[in-house]
Amino acid sequence: MEESDDSIRRAILSGEKDAYKVLVARYSQVVFRVAYRITGNEPDAEEAVQEAFLRGYQKLAHFEGRSSMATWFYRIGANCALDIVSRRRPETQSRIAEENDPERGELQLADIKAGPDRLLLSREIEAARQAAMSELTPTERTAFVLRHMEDRSTEEIAVTLKIAPNSAKQAVFRAVQKLRRQLAPLWINT
Amino acid sequence: MKHLNEAELIEHYYDESASPADCERHLKACAACAKHYADLRRDLDGVKPLVPPVRGEDYGQQVWQSIRSSLPVYEKPKRSWIQLWRPLGWAAACALLIAVAFVAGRHWERKQTPSVAVGADPQARQRVVVVVLGDHLDRSERLLVELNHAGSDDMSAMPLRGEARELLANNRLVRQSAIQAGDLNVEASLDRLERLLVELANQPDELSEADLNRLRQEMNTDSLLFDIRILRSRVHTRALEPEDAPKATKGVSL
Repeated sequence: MEESDDSIRRAILSGEKDAYKVLVARYSQVVFRVAYRITGNEPDAEEAVQEAFLRGYQKLAHFEGRSSMATWFYRIGANCALDIVSRRRPETQSRIAEENDPERGELQLADIKAGPDRLLLSREIEAARQAAMSELTPTERTAFVLRHMEDRSTEEIAVTLKIAPNSAKQAVFRAVQKLRRQLAPLWINT
Repeated sequence: MKHLNEAELIEHYYDESASPADCERHLKACAACAKHYADLRRDLDGVKPLVPPVRGEDYGQQVWQSIRSSLPVYEKPKRSWIQLWRPLGWAAACALLIAVAFVAGRHWERKQTPSVAVGADPQARQRVVVVVLGDHLDRSERLLVELNHAGSDDMSAMPLRGEARELLANNRLVRQSAIQAGDLNVEASLDRLERLLVELANQPDELSEADLNRLRQEMNTDSLLFDIRILRSRVHTRALEPEDAPKATKGVSL
């Protein structure tokens, strides 16, 4: 029978440090998923996961049980990813280059004068979307990822990012507007 | 017809519209809004969720190994001395509260009750002295009467001696008050009484007729009894006088 999160938590707080590995194993996948979607790359997502479980361990005594422990770790993971995006944002803004190279933060912009056959190449469209995403502020990006990709409600986004629900809603709106503006040339030429 | 703005369309797309049925109705009726909504759907549907790279089943173990050394061990919550002493602290606080309430109550009661202390009010003090003096003179008179009428069959001096010893202490206090008040008549009578009381207090257990006669003659108890009676009557008169009556100019002026 699977041990409950709360009993594991109590064991950890009683000095059984190794009991924490059960929680890490239980929630690391879901934390990695959201971290990857927010950061957009593996190394940062890995770092966010480690940071999230470190932070979670330190705050374990303050866990009040208002939400499930899964949600609690999920929120910590999203915030850690947001922090990493915020720290690295100036470096990760895409530069225009001859070829797409996400590792170097370089992007080949689609030539809107080129033929539709080229524009429809999924690789280039995806690169354009990545470029558009990189133009969002960390909060807009995180709010959009949580809303659009993680299917979280505005209320949940607000709680996760520790902002007002209306601010969360506005962050999603701004993100959608910016993305549409960035992606509009693709559709004009299709 | 009011068109749906972009914010409303985005809300509708994410199923967070306040009135989705109204939105749907409007989109069916309004071609312009339907076109805008179709464009929005195309744009947002095109943004596919990022698919994270697959992590193996041992991923949790890997994460654990990477952070394990950085985690401190939580100490078992110990009952501190403060926690152990807390109940005693509460008990002490309650006891202190009760003590304070008791003292405050006593203080309040004292303030509420008219004080019998004589120090502050000279008139009250004098009244008390008069009452005490009157009582003392009554008892002294009775003692002298008993002494004067004691016969040969009353050979035991013990009751007289015991009464004399008790009166002796009172007499000294009363005489001291008379001296302080400057009442020489009272002081002289009490002085004579004191000498008699001293004699009586130091008599042996058995007294003969001769001893009693000697004592009566030496102390002139008849005369002393007369003085005490006069003094007592004055004291009683003084005690019965109303407070605003003119004070006696001679005799007992305590």
